[in-house]
Amino acid sequence: MSRLFARVSLARRHQILTLLVAAAAIAFPLVHDNDADVDSAANAAAYATLALGLNIVVGFAGLLDLGYAAFFAIGAYAYGILTSFQVMPHWGPLWEPFAWLQLVQRVPQPGGDLVRFTVSFWIMLPVSALIAAGFGVLFGAPTLRLRGDYLAIVTLGFGEIVPIVVRNVDSVTNGAAGLNGIQAPRLFGHSFGVAAWPYYYVAIALVALLIFVSVRLRDSRIGRAWMAIREDETAAAAMGVDRTRTKLLAFAIGAAFAGATGTFYVAKLQTATPEMFGFPVSVMILVMVVLGGMGSVWGVVVGAVLLQLLQSWFLEDISGWIHDLGNAINQPWMQQVDLTQSIELIFGQILVFMMLFRRDGLIPATRKQSSLSVEQQHADVRRGGFVGLEGLGEFAHQGHSGLEVSGVTVRYGGLVALNAIDLSVPVGGVVAVIGPNGSGKSTLFNVITGLTPADGGAIRFDGDGLLGLPPHAILRRGVARTFQNIRLFTNLSVLDNVLIGQHARLKTGPIAAVFRPPSTRREEAAARVWASQILGLFGNRLLPRASQTVSHLSYANRRRVEIARALASRPKILLLDEPTAGMNPAETLELAEQIKSLHALGLTILLIEHKLDVVTRLADKVVVLDHGEKIAEGTPDEVRRNEAVLQAYLGRGTLAKGMVDA
Amino acid sequence: MSFSDLLLQQTINGLSLGAMYALLALGFTLVYGILELINFAHFNVFMVGSFIGMWTLQLMGINGQAVIMTGLPLIGVMVVALVVTMLSSGLLGVLIERLSLRPLRDVKGPAAMITTIGVSYVLFNIILLTVGADSKNYPNPLPPIQFAIGDAVLRLREILIWMIAILLMLGLHFFVQRSKMGKAMRATAQDPEAARMMGVEVDRVIIIAFFLGSALAGAGGLIFGLYYNFTSFIIGFTAGLRAFTAAVLGGIGNVPGAMLGGVIIGLIEAMGGQFIATAWTDVIIFSILVLVLVFRPAGLLGRVAPNKS
Amino acid sequence: MNNRPFTRRTAVGIAAGVVAAGTLGIRRVWAADKSVTVGINLSLTGADAESARRIENGATMAFDEANAKGGINGYKIVVTPFDDGSATAGQYDPAQAATNARKMVSNKATVAAIGPQMSGAGKAMAPILSEGNLAIITPSSTNPDITDPKFAAQYRPEGKAIYFRTVATDAFQGPYMANYYADVLHVKSVYLLDDSGAYGVGLADAYQGQAEKKGIKILGRDRLDPKAADYSTVLTKIKSLNPQAIYYGGVLQAGVKLAKQAYDIVPKMIKGGGDGVYGPEMLTAVGYPANEGWYATVASPHVTEEAKMAAWVKSYKTKYNVDPDDYAVTAYDAAMVILAALKQVTDGGKEPTRDAIRDAIQAVKVNTLQGPVSFDANGDLQDKTISVFQIKQNKDITPGDMANYHYIGVAPSV
Repeated sequence: MSRLFARVSLARRHQILTLLVAAAAIAFPLVHDNDADVDSAANAAAYATLALGLNIVVGFAGLLDLGYAAFFAIGAYAYGILTSFQVMPHWGPLWEPFAWLQLVQRVPQPGGDLVRFTVSFWIMLPVSALIAAGFGVLFGAPTLRLRGDYLAIVTLGFGEIVPIVVRNVDSVTNGAAGLNGIQAPRLFGHSFGVAAWPYYYVAIALVALLIFVSVRLRDSRIGRAWMAIREDETAAAAMGVDRTRTKLLAFAIGAAFAGATGTFYVAKLQTATPEMFGFPVSVMILVMVVLGGMGSVWGVVVGAVLLQLLQSWFLEDISGWIHDLGNAINQPWMQQVDLTQSIELIFGQILVFMMLFRRDGLIPATRKQSSLSVEQQHADVRRGGFVGLEGLGEFAHQGHSGLEVSGVTVRYGGLVALNAIDLSVPVGGVVAVIGPNGSGKSTLFNVITGLTPADGGAIRFDGDGLLGLPPHAILRRGVARTFQNIRLFTNLSVLDNVLIGQHARLKTGPIAAVFRPPSTRREEAAARVWASQILGLFGNRLLPRASQTVSHLSYANRRRVEIARALASRPKILLLDEPTAGMNPAETLELAEQIKSLHALGLTILLIEHKLDVVTRLADKVVVLDHGEKIAEGTPDEVRRNEAVLQAYLGRGTLAKGMVDA
Repeated sequence: MSFSDLLLQQTINGLSLGAMYALLALGFTLVYGILELINFAHFNVFMVGSFIGMWTLQLMGINGQAVIMTGLPLIGVMVVALVVTMLSSGLLGVLIERLSLRPLRDVKGPAAMITTIGVSYVLFNIILLTVGADSKNYPNPLPPIQFAIGDAVLRLREILIWMIAILLMLGLHFFVQRSKMGKAMRATAQDPEAARMMGVEVDRVIIIAFFLGSALAGAGGLIFGLYYNFTSFIIGFTAGLRAFTAAVLGGIGNVPGAMLGGVIIGLIEAMGGQFIATAWTDVIIFSILVLVLVFRPAGLLGRVAPNKS
Repeated sequence: MNNRPFTRRTAVGIAAGVVAAGTLGIRRVWAADKSVTVGINLSLTGADAESARRIENGATMAFDEANAKGGINGYKIVVTPFDDGSATAGQYDPAQAATNARKMVSNKATVAAIGPQMSGAGKAMAPILSEGNLAIITPSSTNPDITDPKFAAQYRPEGKAIYFRTVATDAFQGPYMANYYADVLHVKSVYLLDDSGAYGVGLADAYQGQAEKKGIKILGRDRLDPKAADYSTVLTKIKSLNPQAIYYGGVLQAGVKLAKQAYDIVPKMIKGGGDGVYGPEMLTAVGYPANEGWYATVASPHVTEEAKMAAWVKSYKTKYNVDPDDYAVTAYDAAMVILAALKQVTDGGKEPTRDAIRDAIQAVKVNTLQGPVSFDANGDLQDKTISVFQIKQNKDITPGDMANYHYIGVAPSV
């Protein structure tokens, strides 16, 4: 039988498994007639939805949110307040339309009629999600531009503040005593009442919906941007991902999941107290995500269900067995064993052991199998001598102006990294920057691409000022780069890396990502074709490896992927930071030919390079930096004969290999 | 009680709180400065430290507030308790680093931070399950000496907590500024890769940072017990969170900044309780944290940290 | 190569499934044929675990005694404990309490229940128990909402009272103590503190309402964070306002620290609280003399000193090796109520059904440890006695002995 199963394709196996799980979940209350167990399962499902939400923040975007329960609380109280007797303003004509919409009721009172909120559960489910998302934006906006670890502590702070505020504004929330009189949901005129099964079905429907949303988001432009930020924030920004907005989006969507869950949870319990949403809840959800696998949609669901059932069933039962055994073999001390006491200890141990020994969780996030279609496999393969690729190099032929760096200065404290540098790269030209280590070359790249702020001067590209723009906006203007120390998204596939390069050129937003209208499908398909064309520039070096994780690639191939990623953004000017570093002579030659070919297509190139043979072969003009000063500029030949340049290299005793070789 | 006496008294209260927060904040700052890691285990190293101090004092025959000592015996007992607590807490910190954090040194993302949360939970629950949930009456041999300044009261234990805090902080400051190891620490904080190339043993630097930070947390725990005459498994969380806020406020990674931040947070807590309401203390403190992070992310005394990521 | 791990995993999965299914079934077969089941739901995990154990002991003790005598009319009592505390919440968890209520209701053998310990759990349990018509008797949850007729539609949708108490609600404890402050201690001004918890806030609210009526001047009110350590700020503020007394609504997590620091800063002020400051921690963790002079109340008549009690306390202590507190007594009493109801039903030869037991509990008049117990139509105690205690060390007994709380008398009723 298992042989039969092995013949079925992996995707089909996943489908069958999903169907089986869904069927089992639907059948559970029908075959297992125990209200309490159905109730436990509904609670477990509610925690699964929370874990799915936190997974978007922690798993996809890599942001550690330690106050996640705050959004759970906000969703819970939003529903609780709008369906209980807690807040009852005076009746006025203003309320008339709301009463007609059945959102409020008029309650006759001797001292003047009052308004009672009766907003339906089904309306509140999405509304709470929106409210929580709004708070997510509010909490996230001031802090998300900071480093990730600050975020952890700030969210922890918010997680503390929200229950305190709920407790202190008791006129709205009934404070510490907790809300009374929350309505059960109604469907077709029937109240859910206290039976567990209707809640159970709502909960698993919610889980199914959020799994769907999570998967759709993960496999979209949005999901790729989140993972890019998780893998390397700086590189993501340089590839056109707007860091703050993308993080904020993850934060808001995660909060929305929690908000909807809060509404469900409080509708089921029909009471809410501030204590239900403290720090231990946030940690518990984090443990679920860590156990299941950060970034793994199915993993976190399994993690949540496992831990919830461990708590409410297994530990109690195991303790019960030990007690029974103690009775049977007459060992009274066994009566004292109570494993439920130590569950927090178990949580702590899970966190530590998973991080140390199995960081990907029980069910690691499957590396997406972005297999290429036959048509994509047959994209033209060339070695150098490229003919025009749509969107590459056309810019040069349309009479635009190039890159102008004038008087740019960068200081780190007292150290001057760049001193009033002037540099110009004409459209369609290739300019090389050389200089000893620490001369300011990479700083120059960083300041052009917005990663380092300048202390003076101006940078213009095609007439637009670049200084002061964030990195992603600079990429949008057609300036793409590679990094000296290769900053790829190492845990993503080659294809995903190249697709992220296209981030700024694609439009899919979160809603389109979930619903996938035809325009989105077309865009995604076109993006993949473009990616395979770009990969095809490097012959068969990368194409067959498109679905491999970057961490499995050789050093030279990583350099190529980084160039491909930059090219994918359809740049007007390409900034290459030591593209041939670490390559052997044959590979160096191959890459130099390819760069020359790109130039021939009309691409403008600014290049940092140590190997002077490469420089001589490619560059129209060479600029030499030393100690942040420009000491020479001219054709490769002129520069090679320049006394100051020789002094800079030889005078330090660091004989540049390239100078001698050349 | 006149208004100025009230202010004076609340200032004394705030400074005592601040001294404790500052000792804890130093541990955060040391580790963060070098590893860029928020060490959540630190919260409960502080808590365990207060228990170690309690057991040490009890082993020396001091129980509750019944035994009162003066003069040399008092100084002797205090020194022994402080040294034992600091050494044990420091070793606990080193143990945590070796077992749970070193394997994750080169792992990007929140893995290390999550581990410290796990370690914090483990410490917390070990104490809870072995010692119990009830508050403990802390052994305290200090004589109840106090000085009246108008209606305000300054007690011996307040003077003691300031003295110990100031001495420890000055010691740490000079260690970091003057000693060879201190220089190595600062170099590692600036650029671990460059420091390694210049011959700094980064592993040793990190261990020393954990040892010192945890030892100071342990001292904080002992002082906490002596000041409040009580300890419990739960004391780490609130104190730790406020101390972390203090570290950020002063400029994380900056030793004098941590002291300044601690004192400011202590004073805010005291004055907020007096003039607003204790129910809002945490809200006030976290609002300050957020404002600082938004408008002055480097903190009051911090250098503008280059955004390495 | 692909097959082996898959089949192995399947086998493990099936085994786990069988084991899980087994646990749900097997353990319920244990009960003897002529028996009734009583559920006990307490917060055995988290912050209130210590107190939960004492309560559990008290109730179990009564049932063990009955079983040792051969049961009630041949019916043995099987106790099923439930824990509504969870690590998720770090204390009682209303969601777990609701699940437990469903567990009790769905076990057909369960005829009555004891618990919950905390009112927050009670709010989640009451509607479900009402639906199942299962009577529960709480020995310790004192928030008045659950038995308030105003919220009857929510907490007993089926109409009949199912939530009984062998303890008076905060609606009495706070106001009666306000009377005691005004009439007996002649307090003219007071400062109020609470510990942010549902119990503490409710108690302080109830106190405040009556104190204002009695003309006690409320100089201010503050909320303590039970996780924080330092209350010297608020105590300094109190010192500067110089009220005659402090009333604290809350439990000992904040109470211990408050008592210690109040002794340093405002040693001479009158200090008191509710049953939250009545516990051994107040004696051992605060220590003498810091705790001396504190007033505490217990929402039941004080009987532990009487001869009948002395024997009971002794047997409790030998059996469980801890001192009982008053909630151990109210739990024992709750069990006695259930036993009396069971006896009443089975004396007539009737089947002990849930309905019959509930009706019997509603009508019961039983002489318990705390005195005669009977319930009003909402499930609250008919006799609402609030006993007042003051801490004063008795050097002849151990410092942790609850007898260091000296019984002063009964607080004046409203």
